[in-house]
Amino acid sequence: MKSNRREFLKKGMWAAASAVVLPNIIPSSALGMGNSVAPNSRLTMGIIGAGGMGNANMGHFLNDKRIQITSVCDVDERNAKRAIDRIDKKYGSSGVNGYGDFREMLNNEKLDTTMMALPDHWHSIIAVSVAKKGIHIYGEKPLARSVYEGKKIVEAVKKNNVTWQTGSWQRSVGHFHKAVSLVRNGLIGKVNYVEVGLPDGNATIGTPPIKNVPKGVDWDMWLGPAPKVPFRGILHFHWRWIMDYSGGQLTDWAGHHIDIAHWGLNMENQGPKTIEGKGVYPVDGIYDVPVEYDFMCEYDNGVRLRVANQQTYHESRQGKEWGGRQGNRLGMGAVWYGENGWIQVNRHGIWASNPELLKTPIESLDTKIYHSTDHWKNFVDCIQDNKKTIAPAEVAHRSVSVALLGEIAMLTGQKINWDYQKEEIVGNEMASRLLMRPMRNPWAIPTI
Amino acid sequence: MKNILIICLVALLFGCKQTEYKALIVTGQNNAHAWEESHPILKKIIENTGLFQVDVAISPKKGENMSTFSPEFKKYDVVVMDYDGDMWAPDTRKNFEQYVKNGGGVIVYHAANNPFPEWKEYNKITGLGGWGNRNEQSGPYLRWVDGAPKKMYNPGPGGSHGDRHAYVLTTRNEEHPIMKGFPKRWRHVRDELYAELRGPAENVEVLATAYSAPKTRGTGFHEPMLFTVKYGKGRVFHTTLGHVGVDDFIATQCAGFIYTLQRGAEWAASGKVTQPVPEDMPNVAIPLLLPGFKQYTLEKLFALARKYEVGKSEKPLSLIAERIRKTKGDTGKIKEFEKQIIKLLEDEKATTASKNYFCRELSWMGSQQAVPSLEKLAKNPATKEMAEYALFRLKK
Repeated sequence: MKSNRREFLKKGMWAAASAVVLPNIIPSSALGMGNSVAPNSRLTMGIIGAGGMGNANMGHFLNDKRIQITSVCDVDERNAKRAIDRIDKKYGSSGVNGYGDFREMLNNEKLDTTMMALPDHWHSIIAVSVAKKGIHIYGEKPLARSVYEGKKIVEAVKKNNVTWQTGSWQRSVGHFHKAVSLVRNGLIGKVNYVEVGLPDGNATIGTPPIKNVPKGVDWDMWLGPAPKVPFRGILHFHWRWIMDYSGGQLTDWAGHHIDIAHWGLNMENQGPKTIEGKGVYPVDGIYDVPVEYDFMCEYDNGVRLRVANQQTYHESRQGKEWGGRQGNRLGMGAVWYGENGWIQVNRHGIWASNPELLKTPIESLDTKIYHSTDHWKNFVDCIQDNKKTIAPAEVAHRSVSVALLGEIAMLTGQKINWDYQKEEIVGNEMASRLLMRPMRNPWAIPTI
Repeated sequence: MKNILIICLVALLFGCKQTEYKALIVTGQNNAHAWEESHPILKKIIENTGLFQVDVAISPKKGENMSTFSPEFKKYDVVVMDYDGDMWAPDTRKNFEQYVKNGGGVIVYHAANNPFPEWKEYNKITGLGGWGNRNEQSGPYLRWVDGAPKKMYNPGPGGSHGDRHAYVLTTRNEEHPIMKGFPKRWRHVRDELYAELRGPAENVEVLATAYSAPKTRGTGFHEPMLFTVKYGKGRVFHTTLGHVGVDDFIATQCAGFIYTLQRGAEWAASGKVTQPVPEDMPNVAIPLLLPGFKQYTLEKLFALARKYEVGKSEKPLSLIAERIRKTKGDTGKIKEFEKQIIKLLEDEKATTASKNYFCRELSWMGSQQAVPSLEKLAKNPATKEMAEYALFRLKK
């Protein structure tokens, strides 16, 4: 163990301010939190990915006295250092180790939990590696970059009996819970059609020149299983517009509004039967995800679900109908259309064809919907109580699968027939190949 | 002499096929535009249809005697107005009116809606015009409001444009032969966005509009960009696009400008469009430029693709990918593409970058036919990774 540690120190594990402290025993100096939970009975947490979302999630866990963050891993040393400073400040101590390679972190730290916030193309390899160690995972949405990778994560989480919470935090926000409760209790009757509106794609930037990799960034590690390409200044956030790493707004937001739509339909563990639609792709430049998208899914029970970007709804309705309103809310969120009216929900609020419905006290409804008021707390609660989280891996997998199948339908220009039970595309060998993304040597999803 | 030259050129380009129509470009003066540069471009675009023989009538210079300027409009099927200058002689005007009334075709191009505010019939022919002190006396504004064209009679000046930018056009009549195959929304190359045009606006059919955004110093209205006008038996296609200044003609390279001009010319000449719907349509993401002023053939795209280098424009490659997508899974057509791609992989002169690019495409639409070529590429360190990428999917 010790030699191992020395080994990677030599290899260039860059030391944080405090690499001296080994976190196997949490020092008493970490008691800056009111002593309510003895430090050695706290759950240790490793942060994997300390960029924008990683930092936001970390903030929540720093405030949970049942959690002790003990290490941070990021291929960008600057990100990890910033996170470590923040943790030290919060705990009033210094005992957090920094890593550039998650494998070294997993080998050297004793972790109970991890928070994963990475570009999508990295999700499966790291999630499976972490789950295999029996470590619980708070993992960012979308679950994975391909249907196959998502399946593997679900399998690893199940087999190792770890708790998984997806970062689909809208599930823990009151008015989303309310919308789902109203729909599930039949207040608009049987739902036969749902519209999901997601953001428009990003404008393109052409092909920026090749740049020097910033000091402290391990570019090859950042790319990992994705094809090797020169560095063009795309590092944080803007990887979202490149297909090797992400499916764009579509797959990013699938983990929010498609997820909510499925929840309201009580079809969280299902998938569509057919998927057909169109995407608008830039013909030049390094950004290659669709800037606009519009596809229709049909489910076994006849329910249809349309997924499109805001502008597409806006244009097709002449700015008039979508849930009956105009303005900047138009086109975002989920709208369930039932026999007796509609309910719409997005981050700005909740609306209904009959506004009276919205006054219904949720407690009065028969079908109780899983209720959480704090998404991050729900994760820790579920670890302690050995319960299912509000956004488990298998549900996240089904949410993003809709987007990933939509992506395949748009990329091939074909109608996709999907067997959601076997998770196979029926009768289309070409499209089937897109269910899986080849990984660059030596990367592969570990055997589960 | 000029005519002979044109005929030779046409003969060279299109074999000995007789062109069906004759077009006349009227130019020679333009207050704010480089007519010397624009008219050869218009000529080229229209000739590229293979349907037209194009002549050019050049007016006297500004301030010179206009009385002898009298093109024989009636010899032509379509008159292309690339003119913004001195008033024509009365007979010339009358001839032009008669020509259109009797069924002649007209293209009003960009600033050709600027001149002659006082010539009533001309303004009826163009439908809408701008500048030249136009105001509410000239007629209403025409805007697209709540899904339909709307005439607005409020007082105010006629004609303006904000900052030049690459704006989005919205197709308002997808059924019109000129607009066949155009997406609902598509991005134009950086250009002026004409706004606040005023005119009689009679018998106008709006084909496409653009939102004139206040943030680019626009009006906040959806302004008509492409429209047709009926005048007597004549058909007018009016395109407000395509600003040309000195050494500044990028707006005319937009696929949307080119296709609508080509289709608009045939429609104005004959009332129908027989040209096939173009393969590569512009979309809303980024502008599609066609530097040859015509659509690419597949051979040309593959020829360009063979020269692709990392960091250079991916346009020819993406356009091929888009065409594959457009087959909607037609196995016969996909096989044809695969053959072309395999040929490129086997071509020693094709760049490594182009081969690597097509490995991705083959990875889903390829077949066992591609495997031997990919295996060869897998032995070369420069193409190994992407060849393995394709093989991984094809061998599953």
